[in-house]
Amino acid sequence: MTTTDHRRPSADDPRVLLDEQVGMYEPVPPYPPRTEREAEFYTLGDGQLLINIGPHHPATHGVMRVVMKLSGETIVDLDPVLGYLHRGVEKLCENADLHQTIAYLDPLEYVSSLFCEWPAVMAYEKLLDVEVPRRAEYIRVLTGELNRVSSHLLAMGFHALDLGGLTPILYSFIERDEIVEMLASITGQRMLFNYFRIGGVNGDLNHEFMSRLGDWMSRATEQIEANVGLLNENEIFVRRNRGVGVMDPELAIKMCWTGPNLRASGVPFDIRRAHPYSVYPELDFDIPTRLEGDSLARYLLRVDEVKQSLRIIDQCLHQMPDGPVMAKLPRLLRPRPGRAFAAVEGPRGEYAIYAVSDGTDQPFRFRIHDPSFLHLQSFGRLVPGKLIADWMTVNASLDPIMGGIDK
Amino acid sequence: MDRAIRQRLEERFGEVLAGPVRQRHDETEIRIEPKDVPEVLRALYDEPAFRFQLLGDLAGVDTGDSMQVVYHLWSTTSPDWLRVIAIGLDRDAPRAPSIVSLWPGAEWLEREAYDMFGIVFEGNRDLRRIFMPPDYKSFPLRKDFFLPDDAARSPGAGVRPMEATHAPRNTPAGAVRRGGT
Repeated sequence: MTTTDHRRPSADDPRVLLDEQVGMYEPVPPYPPRTEREAEFYTLGDGQLLINIGPHHPATHGVMRVVMKLSGETIVDLDPVLGYLHRGVEKLCENADLHQTIAYLDPLEYVSSLFCEWPAVMAYEKLLDVEVPRRAEYIRVLTGELNRVSSHLLAMGFHALDLGGLTPILYSFIERDEIVEMLASITGQRMLFNYFRIGGVNGDLNHEFMSRLGDWMSRATEQIEANVGLLNENEIFVRRNRGVGVMDPELAIKMCWTGPNLRASGVPFDIRRAHPYSVYPELDFDIPTRLEGDSLARYLLRVDEVKQSLRIIDQCLHQMPDGPVMAKLPRLLRPRPGRAFAAVEGPRGEYAIYAVSDGTDQPFRFRIHDPSFLHLQSFGRLVPGKLIADWMTVNASLDPIMGGIDK
Repeated sequence: MDRAIRQRLEERFGEVLAGPVRQRHDETEIRIEPKDVPEVLRALYDEPAFRFQLLGDLAGVDTGDSMQVVYHLWSTTSPDWLRVIAIGLDRDAPRAPSIVSLWPGAEWLEREAYDMFGIVFEGNRDLRRIFMPPDYKSFPLRKDFFLPDDAARSPGAGVRPMEATHAPRNTPAGAVRRGGT
């Protein structure tokens, strides 16, 4: 704890002299420890040192700061420092009407935006007792699975990039770009789609989407197979990931893990099957599971999930019913007072919304649950005893998105 | 809606429930006092009739009169989400027992609830702010914390009747939007 006595000019206004030196990026915080754990963490043992990674380090997948306690190159403990991207989305949503909240949710998970909109519209539909047309449900599943594929492709590419492999990300982006372009043709946006509406979706499938999708589906399996071949058989990649960051299934459940990371530890929990929603009960797909629980398993599980998503997309195209894509709803929605909770299986795990209505057109409480937040929490249990370089592989394999973590 | 779980909950927790078991769509809801939280969640976690071992979410809620802590649980024994609401936390000094011993993963969720509502979770050994800066004094998701650019304070306030639920301009100190029981 070092506080200097000399005053220094403020960054905002140089005429103002600050009494205290505020060390924003210093590893040791300039204030006394607030909790037992903080005091313990910032007390150095023999031969230990603290280093600061981030907030602008490329391997942190966003704006995150991690303070690491090292002994040599071995990680003893770490303390993630969040909040650099905090925008207060929950508060903003409590001051916006139901339709407006959906647009606030997109930037939370900027690589898989549809999965943040989905639980919100589901929660509102429960509050309003709205029946969603079947075609809209199929379109949601279809676009959602496309978004899942694009998100997993990105995760796989960035995993290699964090380990120093520059090529896979380029191939991932070829496929991802095709997917975002086809989604852009129906939603009008490449990343922040704002496509799901309360009671349906905003706009039906169009010719451009269908022709692009048809083209892509005819080569997707082959292409993705070829892309993952770059990594699956790469000895450096495999040896840096195997046995690193092993999570055992009981602890994974206790750490509130969900999604591919949980299934890579051998727990076959997938909300699409465990708590079915939308039209998933009508679709035939498997829940891939792996037992190793290490970084490599989390990577390989995403590869398997992409294949299952392609199966779902294929079935959606064959079973797509005709009909309207929006339920008939008044423009101003005022749900009766009540509470609703909706959760969907996203590419990173359980995205959930708990919405409380007080009878007005704005949610009274709008709680956003993000899986990355809980995966990030487990760093302290995954990497101690490993090297700094292993932290990178674990971070990449957990695939956190800081937009959702910081809300 | 799962009628069987309702019966099981009523039989097992009849005396600690603060109100009836409510069900709507795929959700079952029970309300308990904060002091009963560790005991009830432990029973829901362990007992073969429940086995609610997945914590779906932990949220703080400010109703304007009091605070709540809301837990969402998932189990193979019921097709419903189980919502456990710890009701009636004092708004001036909200305190609730921590569930970190059951779910170590709840540590950050409780830190978030503390950061946003000021709810103190007894037993959480790392209860410090998580998103807001360490020298921040307010709890932003409380209902007496207004947004500076609140639509109702803009010159258009009162034009749209639906905005009447907001506190009007020149709100007296302490005026809070209430509801959402």
